[in-house]
Amino acid sequence: MVRSARWVAAVPMAALAVATVYPLVFTTNVAMKTRREYVLDRFAPADALRWDNFTSAWTNVGTSRYFLNSVIVVACSVALLLLLGSMAGFALGRLKFRGSSTLFLGCLAALFVPFQVIMVPLARVMSDAGLVDTYPGLILAYVAQFLPFTIFLMAGHYATVPSEIVDAARIDGNSLYGVYWRIMLPIGAPALVSVGVLNALFCWNDVLISLLMMPSAENRTLMVGVTSLRGQYSDDIPVFAAGVLIAALPVLVVYLFLQRRIAEGVTAGATKG
Amino acid sequence: MPSRQAGPIGRVRRAKRAGRARRAGRVDRLAPFVLVAPAVLVVVLLRLWPLVLGINFSFTGDGELNGTAVGLDNYLALLDDPLFRTSLRNVGLLVLLLPIAVAIPGLLATFIHLKVPGHRVYRGVYFFPAVLSPVIVGAIFTLLLSFDGPLNAALGGLGLPPVDWLGDPDVAIFAVVGVHVWATFGMALVVFLAGFSTLDPSLLDAAKVDGASFVQTLRHVIVPGLTRTIQFVFVTTMIGMLTSMFGLLYVMTGGGPEGSTYLPEYYIWMQQGRFDRPALASAASTALFVAMLVVGLAQVAVLRRTGKED
Repeated sequence: MVRSARWVAAVPMAALAVATVYPLVFTTNVAMKTRREYVLDRFAPADALRWDNFTSAWTNVGTSRYFLNSVIVVACSVALLLLLGSMAGFALGRLKFRGSSTLFLGCLAALFVPFQVIMVPLARVMSDAGLVDTYPGLILAYVAQFLPFTIFLMAGHYATVPSEIVDAARIDGNSLYGVYWRIMLPIGAPALVSVGVLNALFCWNDVLISLLMMPSAENRTLMVGVTSLRGQYSDDIPVFAAGVLIAALPVLVVYLFLQRRIAEGVTAGATKG
Repeated sequence: MPSRQAGPIGRVRRAKRAGRARRAGRVDRLAPFVLVAPAVLVVVLLRLWPLVLGINFSFTGDGELNGTAVGLDNYLALLDDPLFRTSLRNVGLLVLLLPIAVAIPGLLATFIHLKVPGHRVYRGVYFFPAVLSPVIVGAIFTLLLSFDGPLNAALGGLGLPPVDWLGDPDVAIFAVVGVHVWATFGMALVVFLAGFSTLDPSLLDAAKVDGASFVQTLRHVIVPGLTRTIQFVFVTTMIGMLTSMFGLLYVMTGGGPEGSTYLPEYYIWMQQGRFDRPALASAASTALFVAMLVVGLAQVAVLRRTGKED
């Protein structure tokens, strides 16, 4: 009977697939319309591929500036996350030393401390350190937020590297730093890409941490910028839609090319958990 | 560990090597600590220390009472605050909706695993909203759910009256949770599919040969085989509901209408950022932390139990 169940399921599943894609299609269509067109009929296909709304969303409301802020912050955060995460992941996943299991447990525990729980005192710590409203402040906040997860995944990955490879490198006279740099980093590169893409998505998509750490308008990241778009364009929905799509575009591109990697990163946590 | 090599090596070379090994040994003994130090520093200073500070902070006052100990006053104030009570009630609602939020991706993954026509496409399509920021999703859905938007137009096409999705206090929280589920079920789906790949295919084949119905297969083969995955999805979905809906609330409802869509995370944000009550916000944070701790410990307990079964 499993066979017939398959066909019964196919119909709602196709409908769901449409429901999954439709919101984006609708928004794209709206972004192509003129304001007049939108007011008259929001569902009809736009009468031309029109990019004016995208250019005005890009230039008029600081979107380009927010975009740049996001790129800088995300790039630095991910680089730091991968560096610190792979170092600590190698040490915790591969080396037995005094306190290593305690540290690993502490890392797991930190996974269960969501940002909302520490945001008030963290804001205070950051402002005492003079880091509020600066790139380094937001970058550090992201690194602190996503580091336990990164360490956890990298430690799990490094634990699977065959010990023959490590032994061979040791006999060749490598110190542990050499093993990290010449063996673990290259062998772990695919895992680093998965974790890096996932972290980039987390940082790019975040709004709460960024709202808290970057209060001034010119330091906004793109997602915070999008939240302010709505107020500025409440009477010009097509430009608003275009701004939203600009903010989503990098993620969509990454998704198209790296879907497998993202799924790997998500499931690695599940299968190792 | 310094490499101990047997064999005919000259004495001088051996001595040199031993010296190098001793030095390397010292370097290597320190290496693990050097490697973890930066990460430990960041996590301790910016995650664990603020946690301690926050708990401590929740027992002090706001405004004029800043810094003075007030005992449990903040917690009592929380329980008195209708907004906080609403946010707790909404958490209760999320817990009730949790089985649905887990069952949907579970069923979909089952069908994809059974190779429903088009299964290859579905996996990629379903997963894609999961990578979008809640801000983007929220912004798109404010358009879709607006009173004269597509969803009400579709209802009108079916001859149903329009619904004020985000403006009706009885409806808005369901609308937001629905959007959250739309945006995240792909995550759980991918996790379920990974679980399926560990399921012994011969069991499914046996069920097929024995002529088991779909429901029987689900109950006697799939669910018992995926216990661990199901538990993992329960925990991660709950955590997601408690900690990653801020963007949606911020963009779609702002906690309204009439404060009906408040969740603890949004409450904390408002008390800290808008009402300037950081100590009260800290008390709410601590309450949220306790809730997370319960979820986390439940997972550890569950993992330990299933670990024994393995």
